[in-house]
Amino acid sequence: MFRTTPTRLASVLALTVVALMASGCASMIPGLYPPTPVTAQGHDIGNLYDIVFLIAAAIFFVVEGFIIYAVIRYRRRPTDTELPPQIHGNNLVEIIWTVIPTVIVAYLFVVSWQTLNTVEATSQNPQVHVVAIARRFSWSFEYLGPDGKSLVNGPDGKAVELPGTMVVPAGQTVRLSLHSPDVIHAFYVPQFLFKRDVVPGHENTFDFTVDATDAGQTFRGQCAELCGVGHQGMSFEVQAKTPAEFDTWLQQQITQAKAVPSPPPSGKAPSGSPGASPSAPPAAVSLDLTAKNVAFDKTSLEAPANQPFDIKFTNDDQGTQHNVDIHKDSPTGQVVFDGEVITGPDTRLYQVTPLPAGTYAFVCKVHPTTMIGTLTVK
Amino acid sequence: MATTALHPAVPAYRSGLYEWITTTDHKKIGILYVVNSLLFFFIAGLLALGVRAELAQPKVQFFAPDVYNQLFTMHGTVMIFLFIIPILAGFANYVVPLQIGAPDMALPRINALSFWMLPLGGILMFTGFATGGAAAEGWTGYSPLAQRAYSGTGTDLWDVGLVLIGTSSILGAVNFLTTIFKMRAPGLTMFRLPILVWTVLVTSVLVLMATPVFTSALIMLFIDRNYGGHFFDPATGGNAILWQNVFWFYSHPAVYVMVLPAMGMVSEILPVFSRKPLFGYKAFVFATAGIGALGFSVWAHHMFTTGAVFLPFFSLMTFLIAVPTGVKMFNWIATLFRGQLIFATPMLFALGFLTMFLIGGINGAFSAAVPVDFALHDTYWVVAHLHYVLFGGSVFGMFAGLYYWFPKMTGRLLNEALGKLHFVLMFIGFNLTFFPMHMLGLAGMPRRVADYSANAGWSDLNLLASIGGFTIAASMLPFLWNVMLSLRNGEIAGDDPWEANTLEWATTSPPPPYNFDHLPEIRSERPLFDLRHAGAAHSALPAKYAETHS
Repeated sequence: MFRTTPTRLASVLALTVVALMASGCASMIPGLYPPTPVTAQGHDIGNLYDIVFLIAAAIFFVVEGFIIYAVIRYRRRPTDTELPPQIHGNNLVEIIWTVIPTVIVAYLFVVSWQTLNTVEATSQNPQVHVVAIARRFSWSFEYLGPDGKSLVNGPDGKAVELPGTMVVPAGQTVRLSLHSPDVIHAFYVPQFLFKRDVVPGHENTFDFTVDATDAGQTFRGQCAELCGVGHQGMSFEVQAKTPAEFDTWLQQQITQAKAVPSPPPSGKAPSGSPGASPSAPPAAVSLDLTAKNVAFDKTSLEAPANQPFDIKFTNDDQGTQHNVDIHKDSPTGQVVFDGEVITGPDTRLYQVTPLPAGTYAFVCKVHPTTMIGTLTVK
Repeated sequence: MATTALHPAVPAYRSGLYEWITTTDHKKIGILYVVNSLLFFFIAGLLALGVRAELAQPKVQFFAPDVYNQLFTMHGTVMIFLFIIPILAGFANYVVPLQIGAPDMALPRINALSFWMLPLGGILMFTGFATGGAAAEGWTGYSPLAQRAYSGTGTDLWDVGLVLIGTSSILGAVNFLTTIFKMRAPGLTMFRLPILVWTVLVTSVLVLMATPVFTSALIMLFIDRNYGGHFFDPATGGNAILWQNVFWFYSHPAVYVMVLPAMGMVSEILPVFSRKPLFGYKAFVFATAGIGALGFSVWAHHMFTTGAVFLPFFSLMTFLIAVPTGVKMFNWIATLFRGQLIFATPMLFALGFLTMFLIGGINGAFSAAVPVDFALHDTYWVVAHLHYVLFGGSVFGMFAGLYYWFPKMTGRLLNEALGKLHFVLMFIGFNLTFFPMHMLGLAGMPRRVADYSANAGWSDLNLLASIGGFTIAASMLPFLWNVMLSLRNGEIAGDDPWEANTLEWATTSPPPPYNFDHLPEIRSERPLFDLRHAGAAHSALPAKYAETHS
C-alpha cells in the first residue's frame, strides 16, 4: 500500500509548491498591510502592526521552512529498511523552545501594552466633543460644547442630530462618545485602524486626532457589529476640515438648526421600544404602500416638494422583513430616508422629512434588487 | 504478530436499523457520531457555498440580507456544534476505549443518550427555516439582537437546540473522564496513555467546566425572550456585555475543545508515518494541560473593542497561550526530523494540519496585540484566522484521523490516489478561500455583510475566495466516491495496516463487540511497537511491511 518513489515524490512536490505559494503570498502581496493611517492613534497602531508583522513573518518562514525541509529530507527511501533512531525527546531542547517563544510573546505584550496606553490616552480638554448615535441602520452625530450640552439645537432647544456625516477639525483632538438606543453596533473607520463597539446601556468614549495634513479628506466608515438586516448598508462618512472651516461649518449648523423646526426622528423607533410608532400629528399628504409576496404594490409614488409627508407602509408577508428607504436619484443613490424594518404582517406610519423636488427611488433594503420603485417629488 | 482468531471483517456497518438505533456499543455510537457529523458538515458547507456565491460579486444576487444572515448564522452554529465538536467526540468515542484496552465506555447508555440528543438538537435548529426564518444573529447570538424585539422564533429553536447539544457534550465529558480514569488496561499508567487519550481527557475537563455556563446563559436568554426576563437586554435594565462574558467563557475554551482532539490525532499519526516515537511525550502532556488551564483566562480577547474588559490582562494571557501551542508545534516537527516519512493520505492531512494551523496561530497573535485588534476585530481578518484554526487545524486533523481509522472502523482501506486528490484539492481550495480574507479584513471589509460596494476594491479578492470555496466543495467528491468505493470493494485492511503503535490495532478490523480477546503487555506508550520489535528490534524489516511494500 505504500507507494513507490515517483508518486511519493510527486506528493511531496505538490505539498511544497502549495506551501511555497502560500508563504510567497505573505511577503509579496502588499495587501497584507493595513491602509495608511490618518489619525495620530492610527499611526501608533500601524507601527505596532509593522512590528507584529515582521516577527510573525519571520516565525512563519522559519517554522514552515523546517516542516518543508523535514518533508523533503526525511522522506522514506527504498533503502530505508531499518528503523530510524528511536529518539524520545531531549529536555534541553524542550527548555530552549519553551523559553524562546516566551521571550518573543513577552516582548510583543510589552510593546502592544505601550501602544495601547498611547492609543487609549484621553486629553484633558479635547477641542471638539461629538456623540455618535448608532441606531438600526443609520448613524447621526451630535456636537457638544465644553459644558457637555448640545451646541446644535432646534428652536425648541432640543438637540439636533446631524445624519450620515461626521465633520471634524483636522489636527485637533476630537472626543467621540458612542450611543446606541437599540442593539450593539460598532464604530469603524478602516483608515483610523480603529473600531469601538456602540453598546446600549454602556457609553464608550475615546479621543482621536486626524492628521492636520488630511484636512479636506473624507473617510468611509461602517458598522462592524452585526445589527440586523440593514447591517451591510449602515455606513457613514468622516469629513476632515481645517479648524477654521470647521468652526464656520459648525456655526452654520447652529443657525440653520435654530431656524428649521426640528424633525422627529422619522421612521426610527424611539429609544428602548423598537416597534412603537412615533406619535406625531399626521402630515397633509399620506401615501399608501404595501409589500406582498416580496414586491411593492406600486412602482411609482408622487409627493409634494418641501413639505413633510407620510408613507403608510403595510407588510403583508408573514414572517418576512421589509422596509422603505428613499434614495436620491437612483436606487443606489444617497439614502435620504431610512424606514424601520418590520416583520409582516405589520404596518408603520413613516414620517418623511421635506424633500427638495426631484426624482427619488424607494427601495426595500432587505430586498434591494427586486423591490424598487420611483418616487417623484414636485 | 498476534492476530486474533475472530473473523477479520465483521460486517458492522451492515447491521439492521434497529440495531443501530438501540446500540450501546461505543464503536457503533462512534460511527453514528461521525456519520451524523459529516451529514451536518455537508449541510453547513452548502450554507457556506451560499455565502460565497452571494459575496462573489458586489450587489445582492442570490440571497436578500434577511436570508443571508440566516445562512452564515446556521453555517457557523452547525459547523461548530454539530460538526467539529461532535465528530471529534465521535472519533474519541470509537478510539479511546480501544486505545486504553477497555471493552466499552464506562456508561454505555449515557453514551447513546448523548449521541441521540445531537440530531434532535440539529433538527430543532433547522425547523427555524419553516417558522419564518432561522436564527440570524451570527453563531455568537449577541444580545440585544437576539432578544424578542429583533428576532423571531428561529432564535428560540436555535437556543433550545443548543441546550440539547450542550447537555450532550456534558454527558459525553463525564463518560470520557470516567472511562479514562477507571477502565485502563493493566499496565497502562497515565504516562503511557496515547496522546489522543490525553487530549480527550483535557477536552472533557474543559467541557465539564465551561459548557454548563453556556447552557445556563442559553436558558437565561430563553427566559429573556419568552418570560419577561431582563438578563441581557439593556432596554429593560439588563446587561448586553454579560451575555458576551458568559458566551465567551464557554466559547473560547470550546475552541480548544475543537482543536485539542485534532492535535491528539495528529500526534498519533505523525509518529506512525515517521516510524519514530512522538518527540517529547511528557512535554506534550504538560503543554496540553497548560493550554487547557490558560484557555479559561483568555475569553475576553473576543471583547477587546467592547470597552468593558481589562485589556492588558487578557492580552498577556492570550500571548502566553501561544507558548504551549508553540511547544507542541516544535515537538511535532522534531518527530519528523530523522524519521522515514511515509506520505500516505493520513500523513498528508496531518502535515496539512501542521502547515495551516501554524498560520492560524500566527495570525491569532495579531489580535492578541490589543491595538492591532482594534483594526482587525470583526473584519474578514478574523474570519481568516478562525478558519485557519478550525478548518486548517481541526478539519485537516479530522480528515487525517478519518483516513487513519477508516480501515479500523470498516475493515477496508481507502484508495490512496483518490485520497491524495482529495487532499490536494482541499489544500489548494482552502488557501484560495481563506488567505485573501486576511487582505479583505485589512482593507476594511467587516464580517457578516450581505453586500459590499463595487467601489470598495474588494471584488477581486472576494471572487478568488468564492472560487476557493467551490474548490473545497469539489474536493469532497473524490472523498465521498472513495468512501463508497471502499465500503463496497475496498482492499481488506487487516488488523494493523499502518504498522501503528497503539492498542486499537491489536484487535480485528472492525473489532468485535467488547473489543479484545486478549491484550498485549503494556510497558510503554507504544505497546504494539514493543510487540512488533520485541527481541529483534531495530534490525530486520518488519514482516508486515515487507509484504505490503513489494
